Amino acid sequence: MQLGIFSVGDVTPDPTNGRTPTEAERIKAMVAIAVKAEEVGLDVFATGEHHNPPFVPSSPTTMLGFIAARTERLQLSTATTLITTNDPVKIAEDYAMLQHLADGRVDLMMGRGNTGPVYPWFGQDIRNGIALAVENYALLRRLWREDVVDWQGKLRTPLQSFTSTPRPLDGVPPFVWHASIRSAEIAEQAAFYGDGFFHNNIFWNKEHVQRMVELYRRRFEHYGHGAADQAIVGLGGQVFMRKNSQDAVREFRPYFDNAPVYGHGPSLEEFTDLTALTVGSPQQVIEKTLSFREMAGDYQRQLFLMDHAGLPLKTVLEQLDILGEEVVPVLRREFAALKPAHVPEAPTHASLLEAAGADEEEVAA
Amino acid sequence: MTSRRLAMVSAGISVPSSTRLLADRLTAATVSALRERGVDTEVDVIELRDHGHTMVDNVLTGFPGRALRTALDAVTGADGLIAVTPIFSASYNGLFKLFFDVLEPESLAGKPTLIAATGGTGRHSLALEHAVRPLFAYLRGMVVPTSVFAAPEDWGGGDRATQALDQRIARAAGELADLVVARPTQQAADPFLEPTPFEQLLNGS
Repeated sequence: MQLGIFSVGDVTPDPTNGRTPTEAERIKAMVAIAVKAEEVGLDVFATGEHHNPPFVPSSPTTMLGFIAARTERLQLSTATTLITTNDPVKIAEDYAMLQHLADGRVDLMMGRGNTGPVYPWFGQDIRNGIALAVENYALLRRLWREDVVDWQGKLRTPLQSFTSTPRPLDGVPPFVWHASIRSAEIAEQAAFYGDGFFHNNIFWNKEHVQRMVELYRRRFEHYGHGAADQAIVGLGGQVFMRKNSQDAVREFRPYFDNAPVYGHGPSLEEFTDLTALTVGSPQQVIEKTLSFREMAGDYQRQLFLMDHAGLPLKTVLEQLDILGEEVVPVLRREFAALKPAHVPEAPTHASLLEAAGADEEEVAA
Repeated sequence: MTSRRLAMVSAGISVPSSTRLLADRLTAATVSALRERGVDTEVDVIELRDHGHTMVDNVLTGFPGRALRTALDAVTGADGLIAVTPIFSASYNGLFKLFFDVLEPESLAGKPTLIAATGGTGRHSLALEHAVRPLFAYLRGMVVPTSVFAAPEDWGGGDRATQALDQRIARAAGELADLVVARPTQQAADPFLEPTPFEQLLNGS
């Protein structure tokens, strides 16, 4: 089980004192949070990608490359990479470069993005959202797997004799997750390729998350990648903890009530009931997180959203300490004890390299 | 006897409300018109006032709470819809619009629909034609030609007024029943049970 954090990278005023961090402060805070994640024993840091204020992370590989240099074993990922509006050629190159710099500690999560104007800003049409996700990703796969690509699609300039450089580290492309909150087509895409499927799990009710994951698992098996319970599933979560759960609720409520996305809507209590949000003691976080397994089956990656809605850096770092000391060790033990042997771990560069070697031996023999 | 499901949506505010009263009359008349055509009817009643806060929450978060989900599913899965709103400021009220804003797109496409409204005076009656009907035209509902407006005098303005309301209700209910009977039973397509196969997505369809 990989346990980690994902960040939206929002610059939001702290509702308790009205203070808004500068972009510089927020960018450095994201780095500090990622470094802290490794320090407290987490496995993954994933950054969002946005091209409009109040978000800072427009250039994920720059940030992840910097974090790679300051960490040793942290897996670097995205949440999400805009497969719709980025040129797949540039994604192929940027992330292969990052793979080399980070010694393979890289994977990506593909998403379509949820800001309408980003499509026209990047010369695309939002009505092609699914079509772009499908065609661009099909090209991206070829760019990583074939040295020389001739390609013609409907939504991008054709390519003749194109070689994306650098080639993926050890000839092994980064593992890819596909993320979608509500589109069955994206779960289908992940299943078709035998890639991972990630549900953010915090902006949608859990009954729906369960249906999306079930669809992905069923179709993963249909496309011959293994049994449904061997599909690679990742889930989001969102927590705020204090030793005493009433203290956690009291401290987090102003951030919840004013948060982008769901602020001024449902109450913290209603949202906790409907979604993955947990505000309470570390023990409550453990129980709720383990319940995701009952909803989605044995899964491979759990990412928590810890640093949004204007929470100050100091608080986020405290939260990561609690997560690392009191939650993660228990979750690791419990998830490991519950997971049947035939359910795989999330693929890493090492496991993919080993699998590629095994395939070659099979071909040779 | 075959059977069909009707959904009745009332955006009345007061309790009891004349909007709900009109909705009940229309529903009873439609059930009876369907029975004359050999069809049994089950009715889901949706009082939008009960979902006031959760509809706002849905607009803000993008997903419905459980009770609202049930109400939305009832409308999506219905063979016919009776939608009744009070007229506020020359149009449907906010509750009514919120509900149709959070309903999944395409949910009403081709759905036999009867629109009706109540208002403080008869002078509001054309709001049904210039506000409510275009909303359902946009949603591609199959709206029956007769819309029903009830002003205060229709509830007690003497024999001629009440007879006129009765006649409009019966005519509208008959039109709705004809459309409901003519269509096969609705089965809402479920993309999570039957996704578009990926080869089809790859081929751009």
